[in-house]
Amino acid sequence: MSQMLSPDMTIATEAAAKSKIEVKNLNFYYGQSKALKDITLSLPERSVTAFIGPSGCGKSTLLRVFNRIYELYPKQTAEGQVLLDGQNVLDRSQDLNLLRTKIGMVFQKPTPFPMSIYENIAFGVRLYEKISKAEMDGRVEQALKRAALWTEVKDKLNASGLSLSGGQQQRLCIARTVAVKPEVILLDEPASALDPLSTAKIEELIDELQADYTIVIVTHNMQQAARVSKQTAFMYLGELIEFDKTEKIFTSPREKRTQDYITGRFG
Amino acid sequence: MAEHTVAAFDEDLGQISRLISDMGDLAGSMVGGATKALLNSDNALAQRVVSDDAIMDARQRELDDRAITLIAKRQPMADDLRHVVGSIRMAGDLERIGDLAKNIAKRVGTVGLSATPRDLSHSIDAMAQLVLIQVHGVVEEYAAGDASALAKLRNDDERIDVKYTSVFRELLTYMMEDPRNITACTHLLFCAKNLERIGDHVTNIAENAYYVLTGTQLPANRPKQDETAMSAPAV
Repeated sequence: MSQMLSPDMTIATEAAAKSKIEVKNLNFYYGQSKALKDITLSLPERSVTAFIGPSGCGKSTLLRVFNRIYELYPKQTAEGQVLLDGQNVLDRSQDLNLLRTKIGMVFQKPTPFPMSIYENIAFGVRLYEKISKAEMDGRVEQALKRAALWTEVKDKLNASGLSLSGGQQQRLCIARTVAVKPEVILLDEPASALDPLSTAKIEELIDELQADYTIVIVTHNMQQAARVSKQTAFMYLGELIEFDKTEKIFTSPREKRTQDYITGRFG
Repeated sequence: MAEHTVAAFDEDLGQISRLISDMGDLAGSMVGGATKALLNSDNALAQRVVSDDAIMDARQRELDDRAITLIAKRQPMADDLRHVVGSIRMAGDLERIGDLAKNIAKRVGTVGLSATPRDLSHSIDAMAQLVLIQVHGVVEEYAAGDASALAKLRNDDERIDVKYTSVFRELLTYMMEDPRNITACTHLLFCAKNLERIGDHVTNIAENAYYVLTGTQLPANRPKQDETAMSAPAV
């Protein structure tokens, strides 16, 4: 812990922050090309961490390592350690289905299943749990409420998930993620395809969810990172350049490269 | 510092810097003019200082407008954000310096009518020179981006406070010696107080400028030497 780049010591003490995910000396390769270079950082529990950086800096790649979703594609390999509560998720013995219930993910483009709103949520729950119809009804309602979507869809739970607006679809995806009771939620540009009002709803949701979940968000929108996160990591060309409290990063970053990026001076 | 990808952003920031620099120069010339007018009983010069204050106010309003617009349009971050917010605050202090200089200038006529103002205002002259050095210094060091010079300059305000204490005592002595000096000395006392306040605004500007340049605040406490509040009851 002490040798890790953790968002300076004050954060660790003030949140009594137990770290949820610890990344140690992580390298990642797309075939021969190295996309992450010796990344070491520690993400505190029940808190929002933002990854920012220009396109191709490795922030989404890092997110995709956490739940090993990269393994869906050939020739992508990770070395090093990603410890979730002390357990290395990169271990061969790691049960991937179990890992992905613990670490949920929401993508840039809303990805509802082509089924009813109700089924969108029940489907995932059923994969892991055997519960009664009544319990499932309760679980669906709870998840939709958690995602601030319940009042908008409670009278049309049998309508297709695809009939919802973009912002609603994204909240449905968050509801689906929350329904399987994960510990960590990964958000990859969750609001970049949404209008400002839907974006505000997603941000409000992130604010509420951090009481129960460890959240990691990748975003190109600097103001969004500044608004929603407690700590921010700036990445560039596969390296972690600076990781600190969000207010520090956006008011007086330590590294010139961070400063140049967030002030719009990148060459 | 490298240029922004959006060139118009640099132009907007540049205009704010120019306004601060203009206001700083104007503040320097107003303080210099006001004290010169006071020491020479120069009513014409005093009048010019009074009318300069309108220009100062207009500059501040322009800076406010530009800064608010820049924040709304470009959402500045890090050093840019500190620059814009710091400029708004520095402009506020410079505008107050203008007000205080104007107040000194307005007293020139009244002091001039009384007997022998030159003898009485001798020590104010020395105090004014210290203040002028500070006003010019803060503008120059900020433009040069010299944070350590600003930290030193902020501490140098102590010398003005010491001088003010001695001016205060001296003027009290004149008033006790000859009650006919009271009108002139009272006005001079206000002038001295104004100069001391100008020094305080320079201190604020130095602190702001330091934060804009470095991202860290100077420590809250600095030496304080205005003892007039303590010496007053003894009179």
